[in-house]
Amino acid sequence: MRKTLIITGCLALVVAMVSCNKTRRNTGRAYMPDMAYSRAYETYASTEALDKADIHYTAKPVDGTIARGEMAAYPYKNDSIGYVKSAEVKNLFDSAAVDMKEAERLYLVNCAICHGTKLDGNGPLWKDGNGPFPSKPIALAGDAKYEAMAAGTMFHSLTYGKNAMGSYASQLSTKQRWEVIAYIKSKQKKVVSPAPAAPVADSAAKK
Amino acid sequence: MISCKPIGQRLTALFLSLFIISIVNTSAQDIAAGKALFMSKCAACHNVLKKGTGPALAGLEERGKWADHNELLKWINNPAAYMANDPYTQGLKNEYGSMMTGFPDVTLKDVDDMVAYINDAAKPKVAEGPVVTEEPKDNQNALIFGIISLILGIIALILMQVNSNLKKMSDDSEGIVRPDPVPFYRNKVYIAMASIIFFVFGGYMVAKGAIGLGRQKEYQPEQPIYYSHKVHAGINQISCLYCHGSAWDSKHAAIPSVNTCMNCHKAIVTYEKGPKLYDEAGNEINGTAEIAKLHAAAGFDPNNANKWDPSMIKKPIEWVKIHNLPDHVYFNHSQHIRAGNVQCQSCHGEITAMDEVKQVSELSMGWCINCHRETKVNFNYDSTKGNKYYSIYEKFHNDFKSGKMDSITVKDIGGLECQKCHY
Repeated sequence: MRKTLIITGCLALVVAMVSCNKTRRNTGRAYMPDMAYSRAYETYASTEALDKADIHYTAKPVDGTIARGEMAAYPYKNDSIGYVKSAEVKNLFDSAAVDMKEAERLYLVNCAICHGTKLDGNGPLWKDGNGPFPSKPIALAGDAKYEAMAAGTMFHSLTYGKNAMGSYASQLSTKQRWEVIAYIKSKQKKVVSPAPAAPVADSAAKK
Repeated sequence: MISCKPIGQRLTALFLSLFIISIVNTSAQDIAAGKALFMSKCAACHNVLKKGTGPALAGLEERGKWADHNELLKWINNPAAYMANDPYTQGLKNEYGSMMTGFPDVTLKDVDDMVAYINDAAKPKVAEGPVVTEEPKDNQNALIFGIISLILGIIALILMQVNSNLKKMSDDSEGIVRPDPVPFYRNKVYIAMASIIFFVFGGYMVAKGAIGLGRQKEYQPEQPIYYSHKVHAGINQISCLYCHGSAWDSKHAAIPSVNTCMNCHKAIVTYEKGPKLYDEAGNEINGTAEIAKLHAAAGFDPNNANKWDPSMIKKPIEWVKIHNLPDHVYFNHSQHIRAGNVQCQSCHGEITAMDEVKQVSELSMGWCINCHRETKVNFNYDSTKGNKYYSIYEKFHNDFKSGKMDSITVKDIGGLECQKCHY
């Protein structure tokens, strides 16, 4: 009978080990770690060792550097003078020159969470005041102030951030920012037109 | 008989009740009108309870000269002119860095309504029970099955014992003499069976362990900040590409910089409206404390929000990488999501329901290849729809027209070639 007890105990142990449903917090082992985990410096790898050896690959380029294919830098600084002057800057990409499908995608990804898919300032982060965002996003369409706002001023705010909005310069390239503004301007015109209901329904149907 | 109250008493009661109703009604209307005005004019910069671009407005009648609504009206109608002789508002401009926008069309009635709304909204709310979420459920099935099979095994053993005892008793009573029974651990049949089972089971476990080397399915590391994808991408519907935008343009679905987090979190400094958060061990997480970790990395002071700009970011947050492909495999995110129209969830699982992200797919070569075999490409079958790039596949167009092929999969356009991913 003692044997039976021992066997039962072993079985119970196996069952207990199998049924343990633990969160996996480790990566486990690899056959050849030097192949699984890159020896070369990969994206996001720590560059501490390089920095110690006085090699700085992540150093910022010289001021005024323009990447290939990138547009010339926006000339004004983030201050009140720059904000006023920004109104003079023209959008090189008017609605005719912009791929509106791409611009709409950029708007929906980056802006619509606050400013709403219908540009009414009621995105999921605001949700009539029930979302987590503490201040109401502006209605880009339907508000006379923003309908009249110069494209350049919008670009200034998009580049540096304004009030509760942050800077989108790290998420959108110069060209993409202009494209988004062209998209907003094209939508504004539609909403101002005498029959405002039709374009709204239209944009909703497109989604 | 119906007893009648004196008519005077009845009238008084009637008037009283009407009066009360009218009071309640007007103030509710004022508050509603005030709310509408507040939302359209003030809410972009002011929150009742929190500092934003401008000060929190709760208790504003106790500050400056605002107990007098006429003064408040003058300020709202023309801030620049009012500020010239008012040290309190000059102080506000210094504190918040910008002057309030003027609203010349606001009237005294509007101001009264808005203040009524602000006072109403500033009242401490009757504590509503926080949204109850279901407890993190454990997978109990494996345990139950284990116990059941254990019990069945014990019963089988007991029955075998009983059987042999009964047999011995019947043999004794019938006088049949058999050799002493061999204990089961020396019984050759048992030993043979046990060793076969041992080799099959052991072989299976060894093979499984060896295949699993270097694979990390279900890997769910603890991140430096408890960042819930469920709250961000699920409840708040933020697009995956908002933070991982480079998945659209490049090989990597990059980790967002601190600046991207701060786009929202310079305004959202507390976690209060979402469901309660738990880690995998079932401990409750304080969302506000987790946001504070981000603010520490960003060098951001919630009490001095307007002074912050991205150049003040102190250090990057060192998120733990979950999905790892060996160095000898090339994988490109943009190719898959743009040309291939693959959804993020196809490989990363239901990320919008995960608080802590774990690796759902195996990321093994067999897993890649299977998908390449099954997935149909967006072939421009009739040369009008679909990806124009595929117009160069003349043979497939002919085969499709003649009915030789009914669809074109990734395999057909070279998705199984070694050099596609290994070079």
